[in-house]
Amino acid sequence: MTVAIGAVALGAVLLSGCRRAVEENPALTSWGEPDLTGVWKGEVLGSSSGRDTFNLTALEGLYTSDARARMKQLSANDDPALQCVPPAFPRAAMLGQRLQIVQKPGFAFVLTEAYPVARIIPTSGRPHTAEQYLFPSHLGDSTARWEGDTLVVDVISFNGEGWLASGQDKPGGASTGVWLTSAAMHVVERWRRIDADTLEYRATVEDPEMLTMPWETPAITFKRQSADRIEEALCRPEDGPETYLARLGS
Amino acid sequence: MQARQFAVIALLAVGASAALAQVRPVTPPTPVKGDDQTGAFLPAGVESADQATERVRNYKPDPVKSPVPRTPWDGKPDFSGVYWPTVAIKPAPVPLESLYRPDVREYREGGGAARGLIDWRGIDSPAYHCWPPSPANGSTALTFQLVSAPGFMLMLNEGGGTFRIIPIAGGGRQPEHARRPSFQGSSVGHWEGDTLVVEVTNFNGKPWLGGGRPPQTSSDALRVIERWSRPDGQTLEYQAVVEDTEMLTAPWTGPVQRRGMLPYDSIQEALCTPDPELYARHREYAASAAGRRSGGPARGRGGRGGRGGGQ
Repeated sequence: MTVAIGAVALGAVLLSGCRRAVEENPALTSWGEPDLTGVWKGEVLGSSSGRDTFNLTALEGLYTSDARARMKQLSANDDPALQCVPPAFPRAAMLGQRLQIVQKPGFAFVLTEAYPVARIIPTSGRPHTAEQYLFPSHLGDSTARWEGDTLVVDVISFNGEGWLASGQDKPGGASTGVWLTSAAMHVVERWRRIDADTLEYRATVEDPEMLTMPWETPAITFKRQSADRIEEALCRPEDGPETYLARLGS
Repeated sequence: MQARQFAVIALLAVGASAALAQVRPVTPPTPVKGDDQTGAFLPAGVESADQATERVRNYKPDPVKSPVPRTPWDGKPDFSGVYWPTVAIKPAPVPLESLYRPDVREYREGGGAARGLIDWRGIDSPAYHCWPPSPANGSTALTFQLVSAPGFMLMLNEGGGTFRIIPIAGGGRQPEHARRPSFQGSSVGHWEGDTLVVEVTNFNGKPWLGGGRPPQTSSDALRVIERWSRPDGQTLEYQAVVEDTEMLTAPWTGPVQRRGMLPYDSIQEALCTPDPELYARHREYAASAAGRRSGGPARGRGGRGGRGGGQ
């Protein structure tokens, strides 16, 4: 008898638990999309610590001979991020800094703390910005669609000024720390939450003018932070190069 | 190059800045006359900045004809949209300058802007340095995008790519308030009827409250109360009350500003990145000026002494 009552009570608890899970599924927004919102922090990635944690050895091997010749004429000090030009994703995902994602029906916004960058990502599957309004930019033009629990973002219309990694990233003995891109770059990003407190990011970078084949980043994880928002982003060259390097995680 | 041009444009008057926002064509309500600042540079059929300003000034908001959109999650007004241009439809009751404390005059003149915008005591024209526009002076004359999302309003500035994150109290949620001092301060919003009231504190003492001379500086005691509302589906209204007990003798009530809307779902990238050569000259001057003051270099290796608020 006691066992039976216990079983019924346990069943009731389980049932109510299930109902709550259905009613307020924490993995979905109130309009039923996967919920990526929150403040997230990644790890410092790259090869400046002596270990290649961003698949940069592979990237280095993909540059065309023309690209290599151009890169030989530059040095790590030419990294545009040193002049506060915000790195585009996927490089922005290797800085180890916080980012915030805000969602509303039809849009996701990725805000970063390292540089004042607010990415506006249509999630309705609308096409890229019409050609007449599209111009080359540092961050590119994004549009996205949901594939199951994953937000797949397609980014085009870069200006070819950004680098794919920092000047401190020299994974090989002959590395110059120069990581050029061209305006032909095309990035496909995949964002998804793998559990309540972990966001996974990966990207494929195509750049037919620079790379012989598409390059893939490793899967990068971001951990949820307790803050309700990131701090004001600000990059000031007058703070001196030491501040840049701290910002770049080296 | 584009960014550098923008930095230069940021130095110009508000009217010229508005021209920057006019990079995309808007169907004009009246024929282009080409007799104002931007008209001469625009192709036929494109509304100029002055024409857009007049159109917004003369507009009569009509919530019946153009209802205020509301969010599906809380039924409050949806501010989402791209807004430009700004028009003061009701002037400030008194000029900001009339409220400045006489004893801060010397501090303001030391701000250096009148003498060629030299980095001096870490206080300078925020726009010149590509620093984020502050809520204290109406945030920006340039195009911005507002985003209403559950629990937040975002303000994304086309000029400079900066943004504000404004958490909104509700559903038992009380946004955090203690944060690092910054140019844009720490915002916390709440609804009073259909008006979003945003209290902004925790500034870093570097924003300017207006464009007057000597520089209308602020202190870290700055507190701004903003009131955001939507008279109808085509417009935004904004008014700020600025308190700064160290700079002003009384709180200053700003003008009622009306914003028109542009028919886009997102702003464009217009980053502001400083000119390294210009900054090299600044650093040189600041070092020599500091040397004159104290007989030592301007800053130690850390480079941030006494200048709090940066990252």
